[in-house]
Parts: sequence; C-alpha cells; structure tokens
Amino acid sequence: MSTLGQLVFSGILIGGIYALMSIGLTLIFGVLRIVNFAHGEFLMISMYGAWAITHYLGFNSYVAALAIVPAMFLFGALVHRLIINPALDKPHLVVVFATMGLSIFLQNLALMLMTADLLDVPPIFSNSITIGPFFFKAELLLGFALTILCTIALQWMIRSTYLGKAIRATVQDGEAAMLMGIPVPRIFLITFSLGSALVGLAACIMLPLFSVFPTVGLNFVLIAFVIVVLGGMGSIEGAMLGGICIGVVQSLSSYYVAPAFGQMFFFILFLLVMIFRPNGLFGQKGASLIGMND
Amino acid sequence: MFLAFVVILLVGLSPSLNDVLILTFLFAGLSLAWNIAGGYAGLISFGHAAFFGVGAYTSTILCLRYGITPWIGIWCGALLAAIFGASLALICSRLRGPFFILSTLAFAEVVRIGALNWVSLTGGPEGLSIPPVNSLTNMVFSSKTTYATLMLGYLFIVFAVTKFLEASRFGYYLFAIRDDEDAANAAGINPVLGRTFAMAVSAALTGVGGSLFAQYFLYLDPTHIISPELSFQFALLAAVGGLGTAIGPILGSLLITPLSELLRSYFGSSAAGLHLVIYSAGLIVTMLYFPGGLAAALTRITRWRPFK
Repeated sequence: MSTLGQLVFSGILIGGIYALMSIGLTLIFGVLRIVNFAHGEFLMISMYGAWAITHYLGFNSYVAALAIVPAMFLFGALVHRLIINPALDKPHLVVVFATMGLSIFLQNLALMLMTADLLDVPPIFSNSITIGPFFFKAELLLGFALTILCTIALQWMIRSTYLGKAIRATVQDGEAAMLMGIPVPRIFLITFSLGSALVGLAACIMLPLFSVFPTVGLNFVLIAFVIVVLGGMGSIEGAMLGGICIGVVQSLSSYYVAPAFGQMFFFILFLLVMIFRPNGLFGQKGASLIGMND
Repeated sequence: MFLAFVVILLVGLSPSLNDVLILTFLFAGLSLAWNIAGGYAGLISFGHAAFFGVGAYTSTILCLRYGITPWIGIWCGALLAAIFGASLALICSRLRGPFFILSTLAFAEVVRIGALNWVSLTGGPEGLSIPPVNSLTNMVFSSKTTYATLMLGYLFIVFAVTKFLEASRFGYYLFAIRDDEDAANAAGINPVLGRTFAMAVSAALTGVGGSLFAQYFLYLDPTHIISPELSFQFALLAAVGGLGTAIGPILGSLLITPLSELLRSYFGSSAAGLHLVIYSAGLIVTMLYFPGGLAAALTRITRWRPFK
C-alpha cells in the first residue's frame, strides 16, 4: 500500500512539472492556433543555458531562472518575428514545416556546440524530505510548488488583467477582437514570448532532476503533446490535470510493468483519447476543429 | 529525366559517389511514397518510419528465420505495412490538422517501443544483421552499381504509381477530399475510404523502401529504423521539393540528399550535425519564401518571360 502511495505521489509531483512544460505549448496553441514543433528544443536550449549558469557562475538553477526566463521571452519574440509571424498568413503546413525545421536546426546546433554528452548539475539539496511514510526529493517538491504558484499567477493574469482579457477575446474571435481595437498581432507576439518564457522556467526546474543533451527536447515534447491533447488544447487547468495523469501513469506503469513500456502506455493512452475524446478529457466541444485555419 | 539517371548509372561514378546516388534514389522514392498520403490526400504523417520499419523487419525476419528470399519478403512487408497504414488512417479518421500529425507521431512511437521490447522477434536494441554473403536470391550484391540500379527501379515504380494515381479517377477523389472534404462527401465520395486507401498505398511503398534499405545496409535496429527523425526526413524532402506534385519529392531528394551526404563526409567528425543545421535553415527559408517548394519555384522560373 505504501509503495502504491509513494508511486502515486511521486507521479503527481513529476506530472506537475511536466504540466509546467506543457502550459507554454497549450497557451500558444490556444491563442495562435499553431503547434510549435520546436517547443522541445526551446526547453533544451533553456536547460543548456541554466546548466552554463550553474557550471560557470556557480549559482543554482533556480537562481538561473531569473536570467533564463527573460532571455527565453526575448528569444520567443525573435522567433515569432522571424519565423512564426511571416508564416501565419500562409497555409497551415508552412508553420508545421517551418517550426519542424527550427527544431532540427536548434537540435543540431546544440550537437555541434555542446557535443552529445549528457550534462548534469550537482544536487542542490542533500536530503530528501519525509512526509508521513513517504519520501520525496526536495527538488521535486519545490518544483511542484513553483508550478502551482505559476499556474495560479497565470490564471489570475488571464482572468483579471487587461492583457489577459485581450488574450481571451483573441481566442474567442480574432476578427471581432481586432475590430474592438485589440492589437491582435501584438497579442500573438506576447503570447508566443510568454509561452517560451514558461518553458524556460520549466527547464530551470527540470535541470536538477534530468540530464541535458541535444535531443532531450524530443523526449519531453512528446510527453508535452500528450498532456496538451489530454487536457484539451488551449486549457491551462487541463494541462495541469493532464500532466498529473501522465505522471501517475508513467510512475505506476514503470514500476508494475517495465520502465520501457511506461512510455508506450502513454502513447497508447494518447491514441485512445484521440479516438474517443478528440477534444481532450476536459476540453470543450469543438476544440479539435481549431487549428484548421486554412 | 529517368534517362539521365540511367546514363549516370551506366557511365559509373566513383564508389563514394555511388553511395550518394543510392541514398538519393532511395530517399526520392520514399518521399514520393510519403507524398501520396501527405501531398495528394492531405494526410500529413510524421509516422511513416513505422511503415519503413515494418517493411524492413518483415523481409529481414522472413529471410533470416524462414529462408524466404527477400524478393518475396519485400511484398509481404509491403502488405503488412499497408495493413498498418490502413489501420492508422482508420484510427485517425476523425482527426484533422495538428491532431492528425501528432497521432501519427504517437503511432510510430508505439511501433518503435514495441519493436524495441519484442526481443524474440526483432532482436530488440541489438538489432538484426543480414549476413554479407553476395547472392542474387538473398538480394545482397557486391557491386554498388547494382544497388543503385535497384533503388532507381524502386524510384521508377513509385513514380509510376504516383503518375497513375494523378491521372486516375481515384486521384481526383483524393484531391477533392484534400481540398474540401464536405463538398467531396456531398458529391458522393467516401472520404474515410479514400484516405484509408491512400494511406495504405503510401505505407506499402514506404515498406518496400524499408526492405531495400535493410538489404543495402544489412543491419537494422528499432532506434534508427523507426526514428521520428526518419519520418520527418520523408516529409521534409517532399515539402522542400513541392507537396502534391510527382516531380517535387524527386527534386527535393536530388538537391538535399547529395548535399547533406557531402557535407557529412567533409565535416563529418569535426562538426557533427553541421549538415543538418544548413539543411534545416534552408528548409525554413524555403517554406517561408517558396511555400510551394522547388517544383513551384521552377515552374515560376520556366514560365518567366521577361521579353514578351
């Protein structure tokens, strides 16, 4: 029983961190109606950035977030300006292939500059934390807490601020929003940059838990896609719940079946959701039709 | 154009260039096969490596276990790949746009992880090796030129199928489904059936390419044969060349495969990944400025009459 509990709790914690990585993706999808296939590589370069700060300057990766998050915001703005924005008025496929090209570009640039070696940072906390009969890595608990904080802040931003309202208006009807004087292109720019900044934050939280290497993004982006679809594309709470589901499924199946099959389980779960609930487990009706903007 | 290829073959190139030629023909055929689903039927799949792997494993396992010559095994592989393709199309029949793309990606990952863990059948991560004994029945040759001819033959078959589809009633059904599904449905075309058949044909031809690849490299393991990178490559060659045209994927492979092979051999050890950096940068620029790919750009140039 306590093994099961331990597995479920670690699954929830790791799932929360996966969710943080997926929120940027779901936000960009919800507002711009595009899938950014380079999302995993954004995670990868942020992890390398955080690694460089810890390795050369000696700060821990949570401090590195203070530099990485704004840097990724600017990087996102640059990518939007150079690649996403020019592709938006072209057929849907152009964005798919352009972001795919960007993903291959960044992956191989990292391979050239950093080689294929796995890089790690030394553990930040020496002890794990005991709560009742369960043990947790302190990094995992802190990461989960930061994720929750971040989700709440983001929800507040979307619900209550002027920017959030403008974003929601753009999601509901881009043309009407434009007629009401909302600068939709700028909303797109800000959303894309915000999504990139969020993945930067996720990278800093993940660095103490996972090694970084040039193709690390591919592993995680597949998980992120599964989570985003499970939660319903464009939904932040959905991403949170989807992340936790995936975390628990992965943690249970890798213990009770085999670690290698753990991955297979959530791809099968993904396909099942696609077949029976294409709008996601918690998504609203018709969500699977957005993204068909051509 | 095929005549030009045959001439190149007959003249005979240096052995290192022969390798480039083999890969160029093979990838031209593969991306042309991808194009039947991706370009003509609008089924953008990032899971074709699964069909490639199914073809490669079927012919190899039949040959190693049961001594069935790859000349027959290839067709069994194609059939099995077609079944996989048809099931994928049926599973995803309600999905569109990014959802379809992501599902194909997940499908290929399921096949890859399955192959990786079904050790008794596929040899798992250690992979399978085909003994390098030259013989016609085992489809293993000493001469690179023979392989190049084989790949050219494959390219020709895929090209012929594409041209046939393009002109057939079924091809028009596919265009109609791709361009406006509701209108096609109203006109009495069954979109699910059309898509399933297009996917099956595309998958079968990709499976044949997989078997040929196995016969050439004589070694296969799930990580390389069913990698997402391979799926992306089929799609990207077609996209650079021009989706939904018979000539586009050939142009794409003709330009990019030799370029990336040459860059790889020049910079190989000193800068791993450089060829892909250049290639992907080229892809982004092509997609943004020539969304129709090389084929469209060429048409524009040939139709350009400055002194009319």
